[in-house]
Amino acid sequence: MKKYLQLAKITFQEYFVYRLNFYLWRFRNFISFLTLLFFWLAIYGNRGEFLGYQKTQMLTYVIGIAFLRTIVLGSRSADLAGQVRSGELTKFFLQPIKIISFWFTRDLVDKSLNLFFTLIEILAILCLLKLSFYLPYHLTTYLFFTVLSFLAVFLYFFLSFALSVVAFWTEDVWATRWLFGVIFLEFLAGAYFPLDVLPSWLTKIIYLTPFPYLVFFPLKVWLEQLTTFEIAKAILICLTWLIFFWWLSTFLWKKGSKNYQAYGS
Amino acid sequence: MSIIEVSRLRKFYSVFKKEPGLRGSLKSIFKRHYEEVRAVDDISFNIGEGELVGFIGPNGAGKTTTLKCLSGLLYPDSGFVSVLGFQPWKRQPEFQKQFALVMGQKNQLWWDLPPMETFLLNKEIYEVPQEQFKKTLDELVELLKVEDILKIQVRKLSLGQRMKCELIAALIHSPKVLFLDEPTIGLDVVMQKKIRDFIKEYNQRYKATIILTSHYMGDVKELCQRVMIIDKGQLVFDGALEKIIKKYANYKVISVILGEKVGLEKLKELCKVKEFAYPKVNFIVGREETSKMTAKILEELPIVDINIEEPPIEEIIRDLFTKKNYE
Repeated sequence: MKKYLQLAKITFQEYFVYRLNFYLWRFRNFISFLTLLFFWLAIYGNRGEFLGYQKTQMLTYVIGIAFLRTIVLGSRSADLAGQVRSGELTKFFLQPIKIISFWFTRDLVDKSLNLFFTLIEILAILCLLKLSFYLPYHLTTYLFFTVLSFLAVFLYFFLSFALSVVAFWTEDVWATRWLFGVIFLEFLAGAYFPLDVLPSWLTKIIYLTPFPYLVFFPLKVWLEQLTTFEIAKAILICLTWLIFFWWLSTFLWKKGSKNYQAYGS
Repeated sequence: MSIIEVSRLRKFYSVFKKEPGLRGSLKSIFKRHYEEVRAVDDISFNIGEGELVGFIGPNGAGKTTTLKCLSGLLYPDSGFVSVLGFQPWKRQPEFQKQFALVMGQKNQLWWDLPPMETFLLNKEIYEVPQEQFKKTLDELVELLKVEDILKIQVRKLSLGQRMKCELIAALIHSPKVLFLDEPTIGLDVVMQKKIRDFIKEYNQRYKATIILTSHYMGDVKELCQRVMIIDKGQLVFDGALEKIIKKYANYKVISVILGEKVGLEKLKELCKVKEFAYPKVNFIVGREETSKMTAKILEELPIVDINIEEPPIEEIIRDLFTKKNYE
C-alpha cells in the first residue's frame, strides 16, 4: 500500500513541474464547459421548459457534466499505450508492482487535482451568473448518486484500460481511441445533452451499452427523475458492465504482457 | 551452486518487413511480409554465485534478448530458465525483489523529477526498511560520488551522472543478481573507468552475481574472468578470457624497434609483417615457431628493443565476428 502512496506523491510532484501545462489543460476544460453552458442558455432564452427539461434542470445537468467529466472521464491510463509502444513499460515488468494499481493510483491523483479546480470553477460560475442549481430533496438521492458515480469511475477506468492494453497487439491505438473517445463515448455517455431527448427506440438501445452509466444516469438520479426501480436497474446494468470490463482488462493484460517484446532496448 | 541456469533456451520473433517509401507503406496495409528472426537459438549455460560474467557478441547477436528472458520480460519459446530458483517469466515479487536489470540505453529514473524521488519510490516498491535504505543509499552515493546531484531534475543531468543514478536506483534493494546491458555506452573514458570500478567493487563487496554485456572490450577485459560469446543467437564460446586468446589466436606478435633503417622487402623476406612504421615493426608468427623466429630476427636485424606479445583481444574478437569461424 505504501508504494502506491509514494507513487501518488510523485505523480503530484510531476504536475507541479509542468504548471503551465496543467493551467492550459484546466483552461481548455473551462472553456468547453462555458461553451456548453452558454449554448443551453441561448437555447432556453426566455423559455422555462424545453424538450421536457426545466431550465434549472438542464443547467444542473450541464454543471453535472463538468463535475462527472472530471471524476469519471479524466484518466491517465491512455499513457499506457504509449508506454507499450516506446518500451517504457519494461521497467514496471521488472518491479514488484501491479500495473493496474499503478495506473489507478495515477488516475486518482489526476482526478482529485482536477476536481479541486473544477469545483472552484463551478462555484465561480454559479455565483457570477447567478444560476439556479437543482439540489435533490431526498437524502437517498445523494447516496444513489454517490454509488452510481463510484461505479462509473471504475467502469470508465477498466474500459479505458482494456482499450489501452490493445496496444500490445496493434502497437498504436490512437486511431481507435480517437474514434472511441470523441464519437461514441462522449456522445453516448450524455456528455453534451441528456440522452432522453433522443427518440425512445434509440435510447432503449443506448441504455444497454455501458456508456450512459458514465454521465447520464448519475445525473438523472441527481435530478430525481428516476424511480427506485429504474435506479436499481441502472445500478445492475452498470455493475454487469463493470464486471465485464474488469474481466476483459485483466484477461487482455495477462495475454498482452506475454506478447510484450520490450522494444527499444 | 548455480544461481542462473539456462538450458536450450529459444526465443524467435516474427518481424514484418516494409518496403521503403509511401508505396511500401500502402502495400503493407493489405499484405504484410513476416520474417522469422532467431534471436536466441538453443543456448545453455550455468552461472554460479558471485560470478561476474561478460556477455559479448556483435549487434543483434541475441545478448539483450537473453537478458530479457532472464529478467522475465520475455516469455521463452522453449527451453528452461531459472534464476535464483525462480522462473523469471512468472514475474513473482519474491524474485523481482532479488534482481535488477540496468539498461544503458533506457532509463528507469523519473525524467521530470530529481533522482532522489525515484530512489524513494523504489524503496517503497521493493519494501526496503528505512534503516537499510539509508545505509545502502549512503554507501552507493559515496561509492559513485553523486551527493551533489541528488536534488537536480533528471533531465538536466549529464549522461554519466544519469547512469550513476540509474545504478543507484537499480541497487537500492541490494539485488543478489544484476544484469547490466551496456552500462558504459556513450560514456567518456573517465566515466567508463568509474563505472567499471564501481561494478567490480559491488561484485566483491556484496558477492552479487553479475552478467555484463558491453561493446567495449575494456569493460570485459577488466571485469570478467569468464566470458560468453554469442552470435546469431548461439553460444559460440564460454570460458575464461585467456582461453579465447589460446583458442582463436594461433599466432603471436613480435614487436621490434629497429636501430637503423631496413627496407620493407627485407623485413618481408624474414617474416610476415603486420605493421611497419620506422622504427617500429610488428611481425606475426605462428605460436609454435615463436622462439625460432625470435632468434632469427635477433640475428638478422639491427635491434634496439624486442617484445613478444599476445595479439590484442579486441582484434581477436573482431576477427571472430567478421569471419564467423568459431570452430
